[in-house]
Amino acid sequence: MKPAPFDYCRPSTVAQALEALGSSESSRVLAGGQSLIPAMNFRLTDVSVLVDINRVEGLDTVACDPGGVTVGAAATQTRVLDDDDTASVVGGLRVALRHVGHLQIRNRGTVCGSLAHADPAAELPALAVAAGAMIDVSGPAGERQVAAGDFFLGPFWTALDDGELITRVRFPAPPAGSVTIVDEVSRRAGDFAVAGLVAIVEADGGAVRSARLVGFGLGGAPTRLRTAEAAISGWAADHPSDGLTEAVMADTADAFDDIHATAWYRREAVAALTVRAARRASATRKAA
Amino acid sequence: MSLDIDSHIRHSSRHIGRSVPRREDRGPLTGKGRYVADIRLPGMLEVVFVRSVEAHARIVSIDTAEAEALDGVVAVYTGADLAEVETFPDYIPYIGPVTQRPLAEGRVRYVGAAYAAVVAVDRYIAEDAATLIAAGTVYEPLPTVADLDQALAPDAPKLFDDWDSNCSFDVAPHKPEVDEAFEHADHTFTETYVSQRQTGLPMETRGVVAEVAADGTLTVWSSTQSPHMVRTTVALMLGMPEPQVRVIHPTVGGGFGTKTHTYPEDIVVPWIARRLGTPARWIEDRMENLVASVHAREQRHTVEVAYDDDGTVRGVRCASTLDMGSGEIFMPGTAPVFVTNACITGGYDFPNMEARTTGVVTNKTPAGAYRGFGIPEGALVMERIIDRVARLTGTDRVALRRRMLLRPEQMPYVMHGGGRLDSGSHAESFERALELTAPALQRARSRYADDPDVRVGVGYCNYVEPTSPSYHLTTGHWGGGDAATVRVDPDGSVRVAAGVSELGQGNVTAAAQLAADMLGVSPDDVTVVLGDTERAPYGLGSWGSRGAMMLTGSVLLATERLVDKARKIAAHMLEAAEADVVLTDGAFHVAGSSQPSVGWAEVGTAAWVRTVDLPEGMEAGLETSGFYHPDNLEHQLDDTGKINAAASWSNGTHIGVVSVRVSTGELRIEDYIIVHDCGTVINPALVEGQVHGGVAQGIAGAMYEHFQYDPDTANPRFASFMDYLVPTCAEVPHMEVDHFESPAPEQPLGVKGCGEGGTVGPPAVVAGAVSDALSEWDVDLTECPVTPVAVRAAIRAAAGSGAGAGS
Amino acid sequence: MTIEAVSEVEVQLTINGRNHRHRVPSRLLLSDYIRDTVGLTGTHLGCEHGYCGACTVIVDGDAVRSCLMLAVQADGAEVRTVEDLAPTGPDSLSPMQQAFHDNHALQCGFCTAGFLMTLESVDPDRWREPERMRELLSGNLCRCTGYQNIVAAVSEAWSEYDGNGGSNDG
Repeated sequence: MKPAPFDYCRPSTVAQALEALGSSESSRVLAGGQSLIPAMNFRLTDVSVLVDINRVEGLDTVACDPGGVTVGAAATQTRVLDDDDTASVVGGLRVALRHVGHLQIRNRGTVCGSLAHADPAAELPALAVAAGAMIDVSGPAGERQVAAGDFFLGPFWTALDDGELITRVRFPAPPAGSVTIVDEVSRRAGDFAVAGLVAIVEADGGAVRSARLVGFGLGGAPTRLRTAEAAISGWAADHPSDGLTEAVMADTADAFDDIHATAWYRREAVAALTVRAARRASATRKAA
Repeated sequence: MSLDIDSHIRHSSRHIGRSVPRREDRGPLTGKGRYVADIRLPGMLEVVFVRSVEAHARIVSIDTAEAEALDGVVAVYTGADLAEVETFPDYIPYIGPVTQRPLAEGRVRYVGAAYAAVVAVDRYIAEDAATLIAAGTVYEPLPTVADLDQALAPDAPKLFDDWDSNCSFDVAPHKPEVDEAFEHADHTFTETYVSQRQTGLPMETRGVVAEVAADGTLTVWSSTQSPHMVRTTVALMLGMPEPQVRVIHPTVGGGFGTKTHTYPEDIVVPWIARRLGTPARWIEDRMENLVASVHAREQRHTVEVAYDDDGTVRGVRCASTLDMGSGEIFMPGTAPVFVTNACITGGYDFPNMEARTTGVVTNKTPAGAYRGFGIPEGALVMERIIDRVARLTGTDRVALRRRMLLRPEQMPYVMHGGGRLDSGSHAESFERALELTAPALQRARSRYADDPDVRVGVGYCNYVEPTSPSYHLTTGHWGGGDAATVRVDPDGSVRVAAGVSELGQGNVTAAAQLAADMLGVSPDDVTVVLGDTERAPYGLGSWGSRGAMMLTGSVLLATERLVDKARKIAAHMLEAAEADVVLTDGAFHVAGSSQPSVGWAEVGTAAWVRTVDLPEGMEAGLETSGFYHPDNLEHQLDDTGKINAAASWSNGTHIGVVSVRVSTGELRIEDYIIVHDCGTVINPALVEGQVHGGVAQGIAGAMYEHFQYDPDTANPRFASFMDYLVPTCAEVPHMEVDHFESPAPEQPLGVKGCGEGGTVGPPAVVAGAVSDALSEWDVDLTECPVTPVAVRAAIRAAAGSGAGAGS
Repeated sequence: MTIEAVSEVEVQLTINGRNHRHRVPSRLLLSDYIRDTVGLTGTHLGCEHGYCGACTVIVDGDAVRSCLMLAVQADGAEVRTVEDLAPTGPDSLSPMQQAFHDNHALQCGFCTAGFLMTLESVDPDRWREPERMRELLSGNLCRCTGYQNIVAAVSEAWSEYDGNGGSNDG
């Protein structure tokens, strides 16, 4: 399990990185490498030029302001997880990152790398979609910004074009008084989710007012549960859960089977997580 | 052999029975362990095997030219190059014949079968070459069989053209008393139970390093559990005299049965070293390990159960079928299913069992040994049967088990297949475990009292563990004994060498404890040599919960002989009658007076150096050997088809308290209780460690690990630890362990084995506990692993919605 | 300024306080660099895809999987391996190594270095609480011990770390 040969470079500017990326059709960006290097060790991915962006100036920043958090492409997950300012502005990042891999993986893995990798069972892409994150992309044609909701096109498939790289992502602060829930079923600690949910819920007087619900681990891109979002408003802790379950079922028809779980299981589990999140969110507001 | 321990203990602060700290620890703790991958030899080349990506195919051609042209590639070999190498032996007459060449020739029968070997200057380049060879291999795919049903279908494609079917063996005894039980029973039911494909998965993969000396002698370092068996087979297949082959296992990073087999790489790497005259090594990577080291446990059990209204289980007919994979492995992986049937009745008094044993080949990795060796599969069946009968008859599950459990006055007890339980604490262990369970259950119930989504259940398993088994039934060749040699050097230091090996159990420490007490010295004065065919006597290694018993028996024999001789020397030096001389704390003296005395250094010096001090006519030297073979260990079936194929039988009870989240099917073992009895304990910490590790592997099988294959292509649906779910620290619960010590009456010092019992309980316990937790839906789980999906499917099935309907 | 992508690279770093400088293939993994180029074989390879944790080393203070880093990525870094843990002296062990020994927290020992390096890299106060400790340890697989004695060893070593074992700020 050793990587096939490749050429390596370590640019210090985004311009250099883009030039190197453009030098070959099978060039790849190396950030944390916690998904890319295993794939290379398995010889599952063909890499001719590896562009290591870890020492590109300005990409390792994590910046907080009251409106949100901006995470550079080389900032590790541990760095974001441990940052108290980040947690106070976008609490969902800490909650989501606790589910990501293990300490050793988070110490190298990056937030932006997880978005670019677009594993359908990963927490961060789902959080980005739920939070309405904006992703900054640089490429041969210049810079552009892509909304997370438009970024994830399918399993391991994003809106990134050849020669482009993510430079940073901005997670806006959630609505005041909302609660962000990241809940999942995974087979082992740190594993990707068999079924997962990110919910950003606004509740009022013991009833849910509105929510952004994103299911993951369902097979494709993170799945916005729009029917469920409609069904959940007005939901109270003692509400019967049938309607919400049916709504999630309607939103998740494209779920897939693999060795870890069947499609029907994933849909049921996301529905159960949604009901659980609704109960929790409404209970939270009651207590407050 | 004597159960009178004290007569063998000659150290006033006895070490047997104490948790003497391990001497094996220092290397791994400080990074100075020397595992096979750590061996560096001048000029050593790297071998990589090219493995089949087809589950069943003819190999039409292999183009190696491009690979051979790579910079750094030294050689490429395919099967034809190894024509001079003998075929693997095929010693078992009653199973389908398998011709296994060191590299597959012409036809491959599973993904992972090695058919070519690359030799290069490093692993990176060797893998580059292997990639090219793989791309240059032309296959003619053949139809595949991916599971038992496909393999046994009337028109199934056959793996071996000269067989009548894919059935390797089918042993079907008939017991009239079971027929009678069925005739008189109030009711019957039939059910099928399934255990899934898993593997031992040592953290260290396999590896082989080979070097040829100028005189032609071959040294092989192999991460094996059985160095002498590897030596015998390497010598045989390479056509070398055995004394010219030395096999060493360096520090070994676990085996769990997978390293009991002698694999193709054990033969090919030494052959390459001889062919090129250069040291060569192969270190298995994890991707290879998952397909090229044996799998295990894939069995299906179809049972008919006869029972009465009062819960009495009158009789069981069980047809046990093993999925052997391709069967291309030496030793064959056929024996576990026989052990399943032999042990299936566990700690229960249950003679009316008729067990049919069948082995079937499929296009998957060959099945072989894994800690537990068939016992967990049978325990799952028996405990599920008892729970079913309890439910059907409205009998309390605990009360029914109490009625069935073996009691002390029934010892020795002969099981349905001939296994002779010499002793044990079957009923007492259960009672003790129940006591420990009560507060755990209370804790779990109160923890979830306010959560309407969670149910709590309890599962039980009462098992027996055959220890120090016959290897004759398994290998068709070897027996079941083991040797030790003990030497006292001129300075009085002791050296023990034994055929048992050390893979993490602590056998080096245990051997030192045994020899220390028997010779009256400190363990620190004992040097232990294991795992080297040149320095240790012939032995079968460590597997089958045999290390402690074999060490005890062989070291006891050798030390008693050594003490006899030393006593003669000491008596001569003390000018006393031999019968009056005793050994205490490392010194010989006349009984009743500690002075004058003669110590081991004086005896050792007389024996080897100042031989003028020896009694007249005595042969010099102070080194003795003992080959221990348990008297009651049988290797052949008797006229009625029965056999006691284990030297002794440990026992235990496992009880688990499990919580189940109904909405998602998530489950969690809240508490796990083990009451364990392996007779006299040499080192309690080591025994406890074996129990912990075994239970963790059992839990892995109960809930997580599962090799899945594509039913259409027989291709593995796993390639990594993301697919094969080895439990982490967060999944394995805290375990509460208590012990009984029922000494084996016929074994030296009463010692029994303890390596495997931990693996036995969890499948039965988890399936039982989850079924109990979900009793309001009448859930009755019959398969492992018990996963969230399986739990939800069971609830859906019970609720009548039909699993899969929503997909 | 353009930069060139190359198949061989110069690497300079310290391992356990000693300087090393080698020209290596770009694709060389840090794990192989440590084991084969430098010859420190206490770091083990258990899976080479970043799951088992046996190859865990400390790079600039952080525990990382050395099989998921290229050697060139450690250029300029300070690396620590298991060989660096024991204080000098013939029989000396670090407190955590001693606790592993005293609690029978290793059997085959193949995974041990990875556990020790993970533990060496963290602030005990953040991981002391039982569930957090198990979460931390879940980044390293052990096949022998069922983890029970590893948990016991860590608890013991960390209770001596603060002298009372009671604080919990995790």
